[in-house]
Amino acid sequence: MADTALLNVVLFLPLVAIAAIVALPARQGEPVRRLSLAVMLLQFALTAWLYARFDASAEGLQFETRLPWIAAWGVYYQIGLDGYNLLLVLLTAFLGPLVVAGAFTAIQKDVKLFYAMVFALQFAMLGTFLAQDLFLFYLFWEAMLIPLFLIIGIWGGERRIYATLKFVLYTAFGSILMLAAVIYLVYSLNATTGVTSFAFADLYRSELPLPVQTVLLAAFALSFAIKVPIVPLHTWLPDAHVEAPTAGSVILAGVLLKMGTYGFMKLAFPLFPDATRLLAPVFGTLAVVSIIYGACLALVQTDIKKIIAYSSISHLGYVMLGLISLDLLGIQGAVMQMVSHGLVAGGLFLMVGMVYERCHTRDLAAYGGLAKLLPVYSVFFMVLTLAAIGLPTTSGFTGEFLVLLGAFRAAWPQYVQGAAYPLFVSASAVAGVVLGALYMLWFAQRFLFGPAKAPHLPLVDLNLREKAILASIVVAVFALGLFPDEPMRKTELAARQYQQLVAGVRTGLPVATLRQLPSSPPGSQTRLATPLEKAGTP
Amino acid sequence: MSWIDSAIAMLPEHLLLAGIVILIAVEIVAPLRKRGPLLLSLLAVSFAAAAAVWLSANGFAFAAFAGHYSVDPATLLAKAIVLALAVPVLLISRDDVGQGAFPVLLLSSLYGVCLLLSADSFLTLFLGLELMSLPVYALVLLAFRRPQSAEAALKYLVLGGTATATLLMGVSLLYGSSGSLAISTFARALDSPDTMANVAVVLVLVAFFLKAAIVPFHAWAPDAYEVAAIPVTAYMATIIKAGVLLAAVRLFGTTPVTRPMADLLAILPLVSIVWGNLAAMRQQSFRRMIAYSSIAHAGYLFYALLGEGPGRFQAVAFYVLVYGLMNLLAFAALPQNPDDTARDRMDNLKGLFHRDPFAALMIGVAMLSLAGIPPFPGFVAKFLIFKNVIAAGFTLYAVLGLVGSYLGIYFYLRVIQYLFMSAEEPTAVQGSPGRLALGASFICLLGAILLAVFPGWVIDLL
Repeated sequence: MADTALLNVVLFLPLVAIAAIVALPARQGEPVRRLSLAVMLLQFALTAWLYARFDASAEGLQFETRLPWIAAWGVYYQIGLDGYNLLLVLLTAFLGPLVVAGAFTAIQKDVKLFYAMVFALQFAMLGTFLAQDLFLFYLFWEAMLIPLFLIIGIWGGERRIYATLKFVLYTAFGSILMLAAVIYLVYSLNATTGVTSFAFADLYRSELPLPVQTVLLAAFALSFAIKVPIVPLHTWLPDAHVEAPTAGSVILAGVLLKMGTYGFMKLAFPLFPDATRLLAPVFGTLAVVSIIYGACLALVQTDIKKIIAYSSISHLGYVMLGLISLDLLGIQGAVMQMVSHGLVAGGLFLMVGMVYERCHTRDLAAYGGLAKLLPVYSVFFMVLTLAAIGLPTTSGFTGEFLVLLGAFRAAWPQYVQGAAYPLFVSASAVAGVVLGALYMLWFAQRFLFGPAKAPHLPLVDLNLREKAILASIVVAVFALGLFPDEPMRKTELAARQYQQLVAGVRTGLPVATLRQLPSSPPGSQTRLATPLEKAGTP
Repeated sequence: MSWIDSAIAMLPEHLLLAGIVILIAVEIVAPLRKRGPLLLSLLAVSFAAAAAVWLSANGFAFAAFAGHYSVDPATLLAKAIVLALAVPVLLISRDDVGQGAFPVLLLSSLYGVCLLLSADSFLTLFLGLELMSLPVYALVLLAFRRPQSAEAALKYLVLGGTATATLLMGVSLLYGSSGSLAISTFARALDSPDTMANVAVVLVLVAFFLKAAIVPFHAWAPDAYEVAAIPVTAYMATIIKAGVLLAAVRLFGTTPVTRPMADLLAILPLVSIVWGNLAAMRQQSFRRMIAYSSIAHAGYLFYALLGEGPGRFQAVAFYVLVYGLMNLLAFAALPQNPDDTARDRMDNLKGLFHRDPFAALMIGVAMLSLAGIPPFPGFVAKFLIFKNVIAAGFTLYAVLGLVGSYLGIYFYLRVIQYLFMSAEEPTAVQGSPGRLALGASFICLLGAILLAVFPGWVIDLL
């Protein structure tokens, strides 16, 4: 009971923070910064507490709140934690303090508005993950646009207006079609069952004919795919990343992109399972294209931020591949990859921001041999680079490895077991891993090693604040890499439920029957951690 | 006692009338100081709104002049919405036109709206429509501050007259085919096989399209909106539109619209949505931009008529309430300056956040809400309309309308960009909104917050 209230506190804390920031009389930024950091830390502490209290063996939602909101339409204020959103909520709360602390010196203009917008964004992101009602989800999903529009547009780089408008117009286009699909979905649920409900749990039960499912899936997928982003809908991302202030980039890479993959996992695929299975090879192909295309583009960039931006496209391709493999290991790998990418890309963007604050350029050619100039910085950078490549013992390895494992075991219903096409897709994804190592290591080589040069000399190495920020990320990266068992146990049931909802046929039972069954209790099947433990310790 | 009931039924109208009479009498006998007429008209409108709410809450229903005029709780609620929206209009009028003829004309027009919303026969409907429009023709000219004022007012007058003529033609054809002037003949004619009745329906509809500024009958709106004083623009954009649309709902009743008529009812509003949103992108005058935005919004509102019967009133009432409050919020927060032309330039809004953060935030909230971006209340209003349209089976039109509404996001965001991201214009007019205008923006903001946080509560009420 108390924990249920706590979850609501976590969600609404950012709003309280906004009110407090507005009420602060000070024109200068210092009190606003301290207050923001304190609130973010408190929020993380509360979220961590809830994570610890989360029961890995319990079915369904935990700490659930369900109150009627727009009763006439069957819209509820329904939030709760489950295996789907648990890690992402934790990730969001974890990155919050880092974003705030990372912006201490970078943001000098309109400080109050900036932190208010960061909190607004935090509220919307947490709401999107926690919402268990489609109307509420859509509300939060769209509400994210405005704070980020302002963050990029006010505190961004030179072409910020172009970048921010492109970002909003891209994402809003996806959302508007999704809105039509949402209404249609709810209306058809009403027409077939007489229930007017936006609750995810009810909507999973809707049984639509395949053509309708395909159209609705296309509308949902467009919206989510733009957010992920999947090639060829990715062109907004490099612009937004390059022009955004560091805080914007970190939130964008760390949390926002995961909204897309979370949307696929929680909504698009399970709501329209038949269409998903039909289109699985298409999504698989797009995922692999994203992996390879993103990696290739990262290879040839000269702007540091763009390298990481394109690497994000590549890394989220793995998430998509894992989700669509419909294999339990692949799904769990996708979840891990989401968290890992949030940490690693968020950390890398923070590091780029730190060097940018010192040198005011993002041109890779202007740098070299930073290992000599900024030794501490370089150590952190190397660690995150290796995590991005997916070196064992780092979080990147767990996710990527499991996704690839799942992809090879994927058996899309259109193909007989061992058919060439799924194999080809998975093999191409492995090629992406090689490319990933190539661009990241080459980047690190040019950036950190070789003859020392930088636009502004001498350079001051990291201060305590920056070290603390990066150290916490590195600790999290290793924690996930060395002990993936704990988070994976907490998300296992959700992964199973997702697999059953989408791939019901593969387990031998018709989907309709499966949707009414509770998912099988943990332990009744092979323990998941076994292959992992083997693989996780080098 | 039927005459007492009649008197009670028309209580809001009577209060408005009392206000008008007192205003005129006082003006003749002992001209008040500047604030007097405003206070009187505010009192009259607030009491009228309160009376409407009170009657509606008591479930009062009565046909005062059988066959011509009737009220029921829903009608009274519609009147209450319209009258409540007039309060901020009066509050922002202080700094522009708050004296002389303005309050009298405004109250007269409001009387017309109330009459219109209770009309049972085309006679009353016509009377209400004209009484609503005639004072506004004068109001547009009232602040004769620009050479173009006369042209715009004339354009408005001529096109308004055309609307009247079209309506009368349609009504006479309806009378010819049915032998009755009751507005229920319109709903019956909707799916009638009789060609004369169909032509009549089209003519009446065109008259409503003209009054609500639906493309291609919209040409008067940008000109009239641009030259009128800000409170008059606000009045036209919110209350006139609300009155016309709520009257249209009364006209359509709960009769379902079927295919050929539905296409007619959907295509022009769809064109309005698209064209209004596209044309608004290039405007350099704030009021012209609002005019095109209101053309697009009229499109959404007519979409609501595609929905199934009982939901129409709810959708339109909720929408005009949200849309009205948001427009008024934007107008109330505009920088204040005697130079009307300079004040109207969009460039004035550049960097407003640094000059006047509160005003910038208010205008920002209004724009995002008009764009229909959650969590602002405009989203729920739009959602309600499109939900009804899809539920009635017009999925394609709903999707096209939503895509059309997407086109609008750009120009609303452009305002946000000006407010928060642009450097200040050196030539921008200075000056913050006056105290009464601030009051108006607070009222609108409170309404917006209420509608955003508890939309269910308001929807249940409607």
